[in-house]
Amino acid sequence: MNDAWLNDLTALAGQMAPSVILLTLLGTIIAAALLFVAKRYPNEQDEVIKKINACLPQTQCAQCGHPGCRPYAMAIAAGEPINRCPPGGEATIKQLAQLLGQEIVALDSDFGEEQPLRIAKIREEECIGCTLCIQACPVDAIIGAPQLMHVVLEDVCTGCDLCLEPCPVDCIDMVDAPATQQERILPANKNYPQMVNPSPLTSSHQACIRCGFCEEKCPKNLAPQELFWQRNDSDALSLLNLNSCIECRICDRICPSDIPLTDYFINTKQRIDDEVSQRERAKIAEVRFEERTKRLEVHQTRVKTRPSRKDKSQLLATLKSKR
Amino acid sequence: MSDALAILLTALFVNNFVLVQFLGLCPFMGATQKMEAAFGMAAATTFVLTLASAASYLIETYLLSPFDLEYLRIIVFIAVIAGLVQFSELVIRATQPVLHQVLGLFIPLITTNCAVLGVALLNIRQNQGFIDSVLFGLGAALGFSLVLIVFASLRERMSQTDIPLPFQGAAINMITAGILSLAFLGFTGMN
Repeated sequence: MNDAWLNDLTALAGQMAPSVILLTLLGTIIAAALLFVAKRYPNEQDEVIKKINACLPQTQCAQCGHPGCRPYAMAIAAGEPINRCPPGGEATIKQLAQLLGQEIVALDSDFGEEQPLRIAKIREEECIGCTLCIQACPVDAIIGAPQLMHVVLEDVCTGCDLCLEPCPVDCIDMVDAPATQQERILPANKNYPQMVNPSPLTSSHQACIRCGFCEEKCPKNLAPQELFWQRNDSDALSLLNLNSCIECRICDRICPSDIPLTDYFINTKQRIDDEVSQRERAKIAEVRFEERTKRLEVHQTRVKTRPSRKDKSQLLATLKSKR
Repeated sequence: MSDALAILLTALFVNNFVLVQFLGLCPFMGATQKMEAAFGMAAATTFVLTLASAASYLIETYLLSPFDLEYLRIIVFIAVIAGLVQFSELVIRATQPVLHQVLGLFIPLITTNCAVLGVALLNIRQNQGFIDSVLFGLGAALGFSLVLIVFASLRERMSQTDIPLPFQGAAINMITAGILSLAFLGFTGMN
């Protein structure tokens, strides 16, 4: 009884084996071939645009003359100047220049001036509920309904100014970002202390002589000396586990050149944190902008395919007259 | 030579894929609104169908028949054709940007069409050699292209004319396609 069952199973497996082997082989070969080609010929244009887009601040403010950050990224990839993004300012230009191997140029003032982040605020008692600003906002940061007061969501507002112009009663102000939003200012636009290896003549401490004493004493087994030399390279710092530094200041005390290493580390950590949160914000703004664009497209096709009221009444009239 | 020509012309006119065998109707209705789209679709189809008939012949003769695995034909054909087309699309994109601009959008669209699987399966059923299979695929593709372009030009003309209201849209397209199909039935006697 048991044997018969086992025999059946073996026979079944024997029958299935060729198909399974063939399909597995085929799938593997096709996948390998596709992977090979995709690796061999990467879609360079897309990659470049993605990288350029990552440098842009994703405010979607359209000050560059394009309807959003991605379109500007595409235009840059096609050869447009890189100095047309006022919200990104100097920092963005620097990043783009590095990415594209171009020279750093000053911001083109025809497109606006670089200024600290401000966000829109609606003077609520004056708002008449016309919804015009809601339609203008590229990241859907304004909520409200017809005839009802509108409010700006301050943590998603990118400060693009696009809602100011359509407001019929001029009840929107651009105000300085509240303290909770300060980390959204681009890291390079904040005034971090100068991070150059100081010369003994101008600073309280002397140059690093790479003695390595700090590395022996670090309780977290980090390499403070390496962290100090790599302090402008975020990738290297994360590899060196800067975030594990507990700021105990033992390395400061051991350093024969009296370098305030921990101060440098605290500053650097702050800068990296800001960069990360900035990037996250940019991503949120980008997603919101794309979702909005998609929604508008759907809406537009719906409006297009719907017969207009005029046509409808005309059609009814002709049908009635025929009858 | 005359044999080859016969296969080509038979696939093109007598056994026209769209109007006689009713394969590939989706692009026939969907991609014929504008002439440029029809041209792109026609070119992409020609490419994919020829490739598919060559690939399916090789698989059938050297992989499926020797191991008695004919029952896997459909799934293997689908997988291989889709993979092969994707592969060549990637290569074309990297090496022939101009060609890719013409074909680009349409290649993935046509890959999963029944006309592609149809040409592969019909080839096997007719038991032809390699050259004949490829010619059959090419003929089928040219027939498809011809019909697509004819239909697109008809539709472009129709968009200018004053069609009675109940016939507007899909209705008149169906009627036109039907009349076109009747016209192609006239080739049946040519065998």
